[in-house]
Amino acid sequence: MPVAIISAMYPVAEQVGASRIVKAVSIPHPCGDPGLPSEIDARVRREIVETALKAIHSEVKQPTLFYPNITVSA
Amino acid sequence: MRLELAEFPVSKIVLGKRFHYRSGTLEVDREALTQDLLKDSRIQDARVAVAYPGEKVRITGIRDVVEPRVKVEGKGQVFPGVLGPVASVGDGKTHRLSGMAVVTTAEFEGMVRAGTGVQRSGILDMWGPGAEISRYSSLVNLVLVLRLAHGLPDLEAHTAVQKAEFAVARRLAEATLGQEPRKVETYELKKKAGLPTVVLIQGCLTESHQFHSGVAYYGLSIRESLATFAHPNELFDGAVTVNTTRGIGYFPNSWDWQNHALVMGLYRQHATEINFAGVILERIRYETFHGKEVAAHGAAQLAQALGADGAVVTWLGSGNAFVDVMLTVRACERRGIKTVLVTYEYGGKDGIDSPLLYYVPEAQAVVSTGSRDRWVELPAPQSVIGPYEQIRVLSYPGAPLTPANGPLTFDAHDMLIGGVDNWGRQPWTCKAY
Repeated sequence: MPVAIISAMYPVAEQVGASRIVKAVSIPHPCGDPGLPSEIDARVRREIVETALKAIHSEVKQPTLFYPNITVSA
Repeated sequence: MRLELAEFPVSKIVLGKRFHYRSGTLEVDREALTQDLLKDSRIQDARVAVAYPGEKVRITGIRDVVEPRVKVEGKGQVFPGVLGPVASVGDGKTHRLSGMAVVTTAEFEGMVRAGTGVQRSGILDMWGPGAEISRYSSLVNLVLVLRLAHGLPDLEAHTAVQKAEFAVARRLAEATLGQEPRKVETYELKKKAGLPTVVLIQGCLTESHQFHSGVAYYGLSIRESLATFAHPNELFDGAVTVNTTRGIGYFPNSWDWQNHALVMGLYRQHATEINFAGVILERIRYETFHGKEVAAHGAAQLAQALGADGAVVTWLGSGNAFVDVMLTVRACERRGIKTVLVTYEYGGKDGIDSPLLYYVPEAQAVVSTGSRDRWVELPAPQSVIGPYEQIRVLSYPGAPLTPANGPLTFDAHDMLIGGVDNWGRQPWTCKAY
């Protein structure tokens, strides 16, 4: 089963050999940025989840990083 | 900056009717001491006890450990920013009572109910396998047993405990005023030509969002700061202090900052094998990888500005903050500063799990100070000192209580004060199987 991990410590995920790694916002808030206004945060959240879904659909041979297209305050 | 540390060793503490020091015996005015403690309305009950190495005694509810010291020459006073104003310390002369400590225990509930800010306390066994693990079991300990007012917020509790322990520590050291010390050691960073320059990079895990971050400099919690320079003599005078609501094995106590094992080691080699150039306090536990990289860059750049050829890199705490530490090793090595990392290991019950959270190829020289994860079996004590007769092995709200006067099993060293040897004070042996 294809798996993607959303992680703020993406180099650690890479080191332990996770297959698909999505760069998260921060350790306490991986999938969002409470420092942003809520409507902008909602966009950030959506982009991270969509990147993760795209990652699951991607063939990978080694630990591979996927970068959501977001700008965060952290 | 030049500091003379005058040593007055203590091998016996007598609870008597005056404050007096003579040839290894410290007499403590028990009544005056407890009356002073009770002047703070946040402290509702105060008792004093003594625990000697080898006694079958278990101490519960430990919040901090501190060595009695008092400044007799030079600017400022011990524990600046806590006991008195922010006046630069580390110069002049300081008296210390060696071989003993004030171990402060306190009962309070706090208002934080969960997470990394919830109040915790540790235990110390003065004999047996628990004593072998903790550095504090070899000291003659004056134990303060405090009960705090009901419903006290955590920051108030911290302030009450810390002021109490530091005031007692200074009061005890004042018993040596006017007396000749057993010996005097002089500490200064004057360089000798032709020797390599070495700094200590001290990673400090701090919780920026908690009421106390965990590590304070001149009484100020270090939050999301970049690396800063501290003179090692400032540590000797108590400029770095800790959060006293969280007594945990992998967090050094005030005593450890006053007697920092790596600072002492670097000073021992100073001007003979190396030039010790001071301490860099690096805040670690940034919440993004970006933050960790910038913190590491800042510490390495400061080390280079201090002329470092080498850096001893160490840390305190647990968890993701270790990533910042490894990135600091990498940042130093990439600048041509040779590093040695000093750290405890995880490794699990049998020592076969991954010993560290994160690795970089530049970390070529690593000194292990032992495993934090080895299980510990503690036999029953003959007596218990401290505010808790039952303890919580787990820290979540409503966790079950275990009698402190029975045998105990721990799956890690976290509950033992001094349970993790962060900075390599004790002799450890490694066995390969």
